[in-house]
Amino acid sequence: MTASLRRRDGRAAFLIGVVGYLPLYLAAIGHLALGGRGWAVSVVDDPLVRALRRTRPFSFEPVARVVAEPITLLVSPLDVTVAFVLAALVGANLAVAVVVWRSPSTCGVGESAGLLAGVPALLTGAACCGSAALFAIGVSASGALLTAIGYATPVTALLLGGSLVLVARSFDANAVRSDG
Amino acid sequence: MLALGVGVAGALAGCLGGSGPGSASPSPTPSRSTDTRATPPAADRAPVVPHDAGRLRDATVSGGVPKDGIPAVDDPTVVDADAATFLRDDDLVFGVVAGDTVRAYPRKILVHHEIVNDRLDGTPVSVTYCPLTGTILGFERGETTFGVSGNLVNSNLIMYDRATDSRWPQVLATAIDGPLAGRALREFDLVWTSWGRWRRRHPDTEVLSEETGYVRNYGVDPYGSYAPKRGYYARQTTMFDPLVTDDRLEPKTVVLGVRTETGATAVQMAWLAREGVVDAAVGDDRFVFVHDPALDAGYAYRAPAGATVEATGDGAVRVDGQRYAPDALPFDRAHGVEAMWFAWAGFYPQTELHAYP
Repeated sequence: MTASLRRRDGRAAFLIGVVGYLPLYLAAIGHLALGGRGWAVSVVDDPLVRALRRTRPFSFEPVARVVAEPITLLVSPLDVTVAFVLAALVGANLAVAVVVWRSPSTCGVGESAGLLAGVPALLTGAACCGSAALFAIGVSASGALLTAIGYATPVTALLLGGSLVLVARSFDANAVRSDG
Repeated sequence: MLALGVGVAGALAGCLGGSGPGSASPSPTPSRSTDTRATPPAADRAPVVPHDAGRLRDATVSGGVPKDGIPAVDDPTVVDADAATFLRDDDLVFGVVAGDTVRAYPRKILVHHEIVNDRLDGTPVSVTYCPLTGTILGFERGETTFGVSGNLVNSNLIMYDRATDSRWPQVLATAIDGPLAGRALREFDLVWTSWGRWRRRHPDTEVLSEETGYVRNYGVDPYGSYAPKRGYYARQTTMFDPLVTDDRLEPKTVVLGVRTETGATAVQMAWLAREGVVDAAVGDDRFVFVHDPALDAGYAYRAPAGATVEATGDGAVRVDGQRYAPDALPFDRAHGVEAMWFAWAGFYPQTELHAYP
């Protein structure tokens, strides 16, 4: 994976992944929205305590609201951290995928299926307020489904990370094979 | 490695930080000594609860959020109507007149908090809104406050009181679990109307402001929208199965209902708007539902058996030949609850219904 990031096309893919995924995730959990007017920043009282309060199984209370027309951003430090980590994983998967795709001599390397793994985390928006996002696509909730949705964020992280590990392993195997 | 870290940390956070996702927030803590001054006062007349409390507890599900994950507003601030630049005329509000206080609670704020612990005319109250059942009810809270438990029954918000952690489904207004199980709350009515209409009727009104102590995108409703009708409010499907399914009306049809100690009756709001006045009964008790065209709202009154009540056709009501404004009939008001039909029929399966024939 680090090899991919040393290449220009790998770095570009990584950045595209991060810059693309980050706002998608924040929008999915309702922290990023269109419709802000003007410029304003407001911060809650006692932000350190507030930042640790959970709104959903893996989402926390925002401590600030930043309005920079036309967007409004709610800032929950823990959610932003998770968003960055996931975005970096998506970027890394994208970087590896691009490098694999553009390298003519690699064979036997499993393509990074990890990109699709980024989708479950977008569904964490569904864990908000009784699965409104799920409902929007016509799926009705059940206790089991809500439980599953609640775990979407850590599951996504594991899938994205797992995919990287798998690709790294097959890269190494390939390198050994071509050396020998 | 980082991914594993996030995954493990996430799973741990889910396990350690109270109830995990999907599991109903824990049952009330064992009874502590119940200081009656600190608990919500009991209603003089408890409304009927047709289902057994055990059945209701069994039917309780997690709404996907932890306790207080949807935070009640405990420190509300109000502003004058002129200062409420965040409201458009067609935004929905819930209005109440209490003594000298006239106050509106915008739906766009309540959809993010569901409960506002406030004071009206010196009385400590909770204004409660459940987006999934489309119900707004006011309660007297005593010296305690209510919070959102994160659980639902019949898609309806289950509140908990912070004095005893008893559990109260909003529409039933009766505790089904905890030390106060069986107690009914003292209610007051709010009017479901639009900001423009409410302001025309009450130019001196105050309104709950967006300074709630929490940061939220109040311009965005996570479930959809009312004007125009979109998302959850537009579709007839519900997120959870109702307690009882009743096909007399489509599930999301709005009705105005009354429940007494013995039974329940309801009128389809569209039918009431057309008729102006609708006569109803629960056993030997006569009720009249009355439409208020200026607010596009409805009220319920206890009416004596012999009185003639009819709409004048121009927005007023004639009682025994005398004209009255719809919100000022010479009868006792009964608590009228606007609700989506599936929620009303789920809680009150034997309800009488007046609707389009």
